[in-house]
Amino acid sequence: MLSRRTFLEIAAASGLAAHLGCAGGPSAKKRKKLAIIASIWRYLSHAQHFGDRFLVGYPRKGRWHHPEMDVVSLYVDQKPEGDQSRARADEFGFQVYPTIQEALRCGGDKLAVDAVLLIIEHGDYPRNAKGQVLYPRYEMFQQVVEVFEQDGRAVPVFNDKHLSYDTAKAKKMVADSKRLGFPLLAGSSLPVTWRIPAIEFPLDCVIEEALMVGVGSSDASDYHALEAMQCMVERRRGGESGVKSVQLIQGEAVWKAGEEGRWSRRLLEAALARSNKLLGDTLIDARPQDLANNGQLPKIVKEPAAYFIEHADGLQSTLLMLNGGVQDRTFAARLQGEPEPQSLLFQLPPIPNVTYSACLAEKIEEMIETGQAPFPAERTLIVSGILDHCLESKVQGNRKLETPELQISYRPPAGSHFCRA
Amino acid sequence: MPRAPLPGLSRRNFLSAAPLTAAGGMAAAVPSRKRPRIAAVVSEYRRYSHAQHIVDRFLWGYGWGNRHHRPPMDVVSVYVDQTPENTLIHDRLRRFPKMKKYPTIAEALTQGGSRLAVDGVLLIGEHGKYPKNEKGQTLYPRYEWFKEITRVFRDSGRSVPVFNDKHLSWKWEWAKEMVDISRELDFAFLAGSSVPVTPRLPSIDMPLGVEIEEALCLAVGGMDGYDIHALEGLQCMVERRRGGETGAASIHGLKGDPVYEAMNAGSWQAGGWDPELFQACLCRSHSLTPSRDGFNHVLPGLEEVPRLISERTPVAYRFEYLDGLKGTILLMEGLVMDFTFAARLKGGEVISTQMFLPPREVCNFFNPQCHHVEQMFLTGKAGYPVERTLLTTGLTAAGVDSVWQGQKRLETPHLDIRYQPTRESTFWRS
Repeated sequence: MLSRRTFLEIAAASGLAAHLGCAGGPSAKKRKKLAIIASIWRYLSHAQHFGDRFLVGYPRKGRWHHPEMDVVSLYVDQKPEGDQSRARADEFGFQVYPTIQEALRCGGDKLAVDAVLLIIEHGDYPRNAKGQVLYPRYEMFQQVVEVFEQDGRAVPVFNDKHLSYDTAKAKKMVADSKRLGFPLLAGSSLPVTWRIPAIEFPLDCVIEEALMVGVGSSDASDYHALEAMQCMVERRRGGESGVKSVQLIQGEAVWKAGEEGRWSRRLLEAALARSNKLLGDTLIDARPQDLANNGQLPKIVKEPAAYFIEHADGLQSTLLMLNGGVQDRTFAARLQGEPEPQSLLFQLPPIPNVTYSACLAEKIEEMIETGQAPFPAERTLIVSGILDHCLESKVQGNRKLETPELQISYRPPAGSHFCRA
Repeated sequence: MPRAPLPGLSRRNFLSAAPLTAAGGMAAAVPSRKRPRIAAVVSEYRRYSHAQHIVDRFLWGYGWGNRHHRPPMDVVSVYVDQTPENTLIHDRLRRFPKMKKYPTIAEALTQGGSRLAVDGVLLIGEHGKYPKNEKGQTLYPRYEWFKEITRVFRDSGRSVPVFNDKHLSWKWEWAKEMVDISRELDFAFLAGSSVPVTPRLPSIDMPLGVEIEEALCLAVGGMDGYDIHALEGLQCMVERRRGGETGAASIHGLKGDPVYEAMNAGSWQAGGWDPELFQACLCRSHSLTPSRDGFNHVLPGLEEVPRLISERTPVAYRFEYLDGLKGTILLMEGLVMDFTFAARLKGGEVISTQMFLPPREVCNFFNPQCHHVEQMFLTGKAGYPVERTLLTTGLTAAGVDSVWQGQKRLETPHLDIRYQPTRESTFWRS
């Protein structure tokens, strides 16, 4: 086992240390250089989770893996109390630059990195009337794209979480990546984290109905849940066909919709059967519960919400946000020809390790190494748009909204990308 | 599960391999009723006690497969040895009137009559206030209760399947006798920890018939409580090696600083364990305490490990099997809070996984265990061999003994327990 000290010693002895920092130098094996553009970098922020994986390594397939690439530059938009950007830069020999342009060019006049990690999550940003945090992902992405254009070279970009709170801006981001021909990987850790059980739907299965149970706040956690559901349903026959309409309902109407069959209680039972964090009476004495059917949910979930998504090919998928009922994220779907629904838990390992971020770091590395995004940014694009429109529905009196902007079709990856090795 | 007779099969296993005689011997003729009747013999029934977790699942049902599953059987009687202030037994009796409480084990098994009147027994002697001996073992009366249960079997001329939670007894001779009695009276006997059957991350099993050189289980918790869980986690994997289980030849229990000396030794031969296996376990953990402030996940250097570990550990049991396999369990509470396993196969390959224990509010690792118990009650066959738990019970007792005798290596000729694993995996993966 290598301690950090030992690792650094070995790195220095083998000449690897020479490649730390933008100055770099001729190298025997060219290590890729990364720029990180972050909102903030402090303990347990996303930039810290992901950035550190590239600094100190992370567990991968039962080994501690050190990416063969170096963080050479960092831009942080805000430096709140607890900021670690300076300390990390000093320890790991990279530079913190005052602008995105300088970070990408390492203070020079040309793009000087091989990949960009855009991690704009956490930090102090305003919210709009729809409850969306106005993270400047699009705006910062544009600055990155401008450097690519000015310098005549584009490199892979990872965008943490959804693309932009605004569908049009999100679309522009994906369009820019296509226009300039650089791979764009985006999204949540949920699609790639551990699943219990470790199942993936076969490509081109026929999905009759899908239901996701999510928890947490809007517009952070509902986004994660939507993307988890999307990575499952996109594998259906024909791939993703786009979204025709969405509707977000709240309160009593959610239970009423269940009684009317707008969402399936059977699928809810299948999903909750996977939950390891039931609340309500389970908190009293640890009893197991048939929470989908025992009548407790309306009592303990004070502010339920249902996000209804009508896909162009007719699939209905539903996200139920059940804060107060459970504390984990589960999914169920009915596949044609199968008597029983299938369901799973998206297992999010606990703080502080949050090893789900290691699962995503592996995919980021894969993109940087191969120049191909392992799964399409269109997944995150459509989810960004679904969320944006659901929150619009919320402020428009929970009415159903047609979504011609979400005629986004794409094919899922042929392979499976969740953590299971 | 169907399987061909293999060398080392006990008579009971052989019988259960033959479908027609599955209910043979004294265990014959579960009365032709729809729902089996179950008796629960438990130490205490309070929030988070094993009895609560297990019996509750038979009463309320539990998440299994794609639904909330309700076992097709009734807990009709319960014997509760201790009723602390926070007992839940009265609440459960009120909610589930089919379940009656009896003042003795015999009455629970006969439902107050004179003959055995149940079709399966849950023996859950974990938690509760029981004395400890000088070695630090809690003297849970599992053996004593097992004897009372089997006395009813004898008196009634009929035996039914028994599940024994955790290890069989704190005392080796008694554990051995328990298994002997189950063979003599020919009833299905399932025992042990839930660690072997809980989901795994990744969802892998030891390939059947491989050659293994060394295995390690890194776990949370202290001696006489968690050592058995770690041993069961390791044993359920290594028993699948070529030739099946051969039994243990020796054990060396370490506690405190000698564990760190062993850790730094660099290999089994030098008195420690394979550092690569240790690192693999750390890499499978999802609760590795950061060794550096401000970092959420770093691989600690060996020199950093001691300050991360809680006071009641570290503990290490290093043991050798009769076929030469080396095994180690490490209890390093504070460094990790979960159960991980790694093994080096012949040829050098290392395989590793985490035996995932969901959070304690719901403790769903009891779901797969209850599933196996339920299946045993329905089929009259144990889903995995009780010899596994006999061996881990013996290793637990010997490990405690070794530490108590001044951390002295002990030969374990009595642990020459041979058995064959199940062909199919039995952990939760569906």
